[in-house]
Amino acid sequence: MSSTIALEANGLSKSFPGVKALDRVNLRLMSGETHALMGENGAGKSTLIKILTGVHRPDEGALSVAGSIADIHSPAAAMHAGIGVVHQERNVIRGFTVGENIVMSRMPRRGPRVDWPAVRREAKRCLALLDLELDPDTPMARLSSAQTQLVEIARGLYTETSILLLDEPTASISDNEADRLFRVVRRLTEQGTAVLFVSHKLEEVFAHCDTVSVLRDGRSVLESEPLSAHSRDEIVDVMVGRSLAALEVPERAVDRSRPPVLELSDVDTASGHRGVSLELRSGEILGLYGLVGAGRTELARAVLGLDRVTSGSVHVRGARVSIRSVRQALESYRIGYVTENRKEEGVFLAQSVTRNVAITVWSRLERMLGYVSTKSERALVQKYVTELDIRISGQRQLVGQLSGGNQQKVSLAKWLAAKTEILIIDEPTVGIDVRTKRSFYDLIWKLADDGLAILLISSDLAEMITLADRIAVMDRFAITGEVENSHDYDEMSQSIIRLIHGHAAVT
Amino acid sequence: MTSTLKSGSSAHLQAGALRRFVATPSFFLLVIIFVLVIVLGSIKPAFFNGPFVIAPLLTGISIFTVVGLSQMVVLSIGHMNLAVGPMAAFGAMFMGLSYELWDLPLVLGLALGILAGAAMGALSGWLVARTGVNSFIVTLAMSFALIGLVPTVYSWLSAGSAFTVKPDGLDEIGRSSFSAICVNGACGSNAIPLIVIPALGVMLLIGYLYSHTRLGRELLMTGSNVDAAQLSGIPTGRRIVLVHSLSGALAALAGFLLAASTGSFTPGIGQEFMLQSFVGPILGGTLLAGGYVSVTGTLLGITLTLVIRKGLDLFGVGLETLNVLLGVILLIALSSDQIRLFFGRRRTRRPAQVDRTSPPPGPKLAQPSVPEEISA
Repeated sequence: MSSTIALEANGLSKSFPGVKALDRVNLRLMSGETHALMGENGAGKSTLIKILTGVHRPDEGALSVAGSIADIHSPAAAMHAGIGVVHQERNVIRGFTVGENIVMSRMPRRGPRVDWPAVRREAKRCLALLDLELDPDTPMARLSSAQTQLVEIARGLYTETSILLLDEPTASISDNEADRLFRVVRRLTEQGTAVLFVSHKLEEVFAHCDTVSVLRDGRSVLESEPLSAHSRDEIVDVMVGRSLAALEVPERAVDRSRPPVLELSDVDTASGHRGVSLELRSGEILGLYGLVGAGRTELARAVLGLDRVTSGSVHVRGARVSIRSVRQALESYRIGYVTENRKEEGVFLAQSVTRNVAITVWSRLERMLGYVSTKSERALVQKYVTELDIRISGQRQLVGQLSGGNQQKVSLAKWLAAKTEILIIDEPTVGIDVRTKRSFYDLIWKLADDGLAILLISSDLAEMITLADRIAVMDRFAITGEVENSHDYDEMSQSIIRLIHGHAAVT
Repeated sequence: MTSTLKSGSSAHLQAGALRRFVATPSFFLLVIIFVLVIVLGSIKPAFFNGPFVIAPLLTGISIFTVVGLSQMVVLSIGHMNLAVGPMAAFGAMFMGLSYELWDLPLVLGLALGILAGAAMGALSGWLVARTGVNSFIVTLAMSFALIGLVPTVYSWLSAGSAFTVKPDGLDEIGRSSFSAICVNGACGSNAIPLIVIPALGVMLLIGYLYSHTRLGRELLMTGSNVDAAQLSGIPTGRRIVLVHSLSGALAALAGFLLAASTGSFTPGIGQEFMLQSFVGPILGGTLLAGGYVSVTGTLLGITLTLVIRKGLDLFGVGLETLNVLLGVILLIALSSDQIRLFFGRRRTRRPAQVDRTSPPPGPKLAQPSVPEEISA
């Protein structure tokens, strides 16, 4: 295959408040190849895609398309340069029909009016590429999530593109549907299209891709190398970064003879869990590992009473409980939850640091007639600001003005102030740079040493292997296995990945 | 803040509090009102006539401050109550019924009417919390239903579409001034109506609620971010029902005060409430999106509009012209945010790296700071 350079990125850098998302990243995409872009969550893949499609502009670095410098300053410019994209997030408009969504980027027109027959024809053509038999007039809202994803892909195929970016297109579709997608991809690459394929699924990558680039913490760690030269383990290693995995782990002793403080036995939930059993002791860090969408956050929600437990039992400190609200979880059972989506669910951006932390302790500070003394509130908050080393100009400062790491500390501080005994921490270090991550790890260890029972949810394998005492692996809303953490990275990553994929192979 | 923590001297503390006050809409309103009163008074000395200008003005301010607070409490959680007027009419209808048909004493009728208003509010709140439908729509529907219901009931049960029986004490509340209260032969001013007492009471109560209690704080947090509030253990559904009930109760109280000042309970009560209910809180700095309220600001916002109205009235400006002018003044006052921001910026410079999605949405995109205390 004689191929030319379709797209080249040189030294791309991009910073967001508090994080350097990309640091001098290089990428070379050849026409006619399928190029895998890999990396953990937060490694910078999505930022790179967004730069290539004109959503973000790089702080530094240059892009060239087909050998000439390209200024991709907007999504329209990207389209003009022949770059098509299937985004990871659902960018469809639910109120519109399938057809309208597919041709949205360039509505066929006859004079000033939309050419509806052409809309249907074009939409049908794109759907046919994926062997999809969907009426273009179907409202989007009626589709399943897999169908929605497929329409999203069809949309990427609508315009003639010489470069197609696929950002985790197979995350929520079945293997069967994914196969159809790969057939289309093969046809496109045979015609000379360059495809950049972002995925977490190693099998897919090894089965369908020619070249691979890996990002870690915003840096290129593998730059456009032939995939055949690498083993799966090597790819996982460079993705995760052995250096981080090999961090000094403190000596931790967990008293396993103690009865568990939180015990789930054979729990089914309304969100779809089946037969989930877990035991968590005080002073212990239990890791709950799995891919995005495996049902980990949903399990946390069920424990907090936000989703219904339909069968099985939950015991807290030996007593069978039925928790119906976060308040009850907190006040009766001392369970706290540091959420995954910090800005949306974890903190109140437009409120002061004081209120953000004190929110869980007002019930304790409350005196006659609901009176809460501002003085005692501030004193209490100050204690945790100091303890967690939260950098603020004063307690009145709005949390929206703090950096991501400090916001996360605020989100954690409220549960410490509430004196929780069981703490569920969901993806604590997403969007947080390496150094702050390290200080978080120290903090989590310290909390566990102080007797807190911690259920740690993370998609970051290195983080899991560094932090957890035991790791339970979840896939498709079921626990597929549990392993004692030896902190030996090679051994652990092998057995955990086997637990996920072994299960996947069975179903 | 940092300086107060470090030095701890009370002079410093007061200077900090003063500077924070200067950065609020309340300060700005206070200045405008002061200038306006001086100007109006110097051109038309009649403006300072106690019993004929000042007393009715204070009566209006008292009633509409309660109306404004009725809206402010729902705004605190980021909701709105378009049915403030009809709820006032509904509550007042029950009061009128209690006095005319059931011969109940003042307090009992008042309590019954407030309960009726609260019940209507609770119904809106429950519908909002239960269905997740926007409060705008729910209260709009509620408003239509009540606008239809109230006159119907009046036409069935009252002669001449009004309840005119006055229980003992109604006139004293609605139409007397402090001149009626004499201690050792020294009587109060006839420029200050007694109706300011219930209004002040409500202001103190609501001010206390938001600045000093757990409940008030929880409402503000719910307004700031309802998902985060729920995940922090606040029973947001119950808070929504509660706050709408409170709004209904305050609307009914405002209806009572209006009826007391005019002397009869009519279906027309509350017709002028809706626009005013928004104007007061918003001028005073309450965020439409929730999370920040100001009781003082609401009082001053109401005062400003009523002073303008009264002043122009004295110059013989017609009602239509008056409304146009009020609209213009409202627009100017709302853009005064920029001016306040200038003062605010000297204290809390917003770092350039603040996420663009983070500041509270709503008309006041540039809230310079959110003061911790809200003084009544």
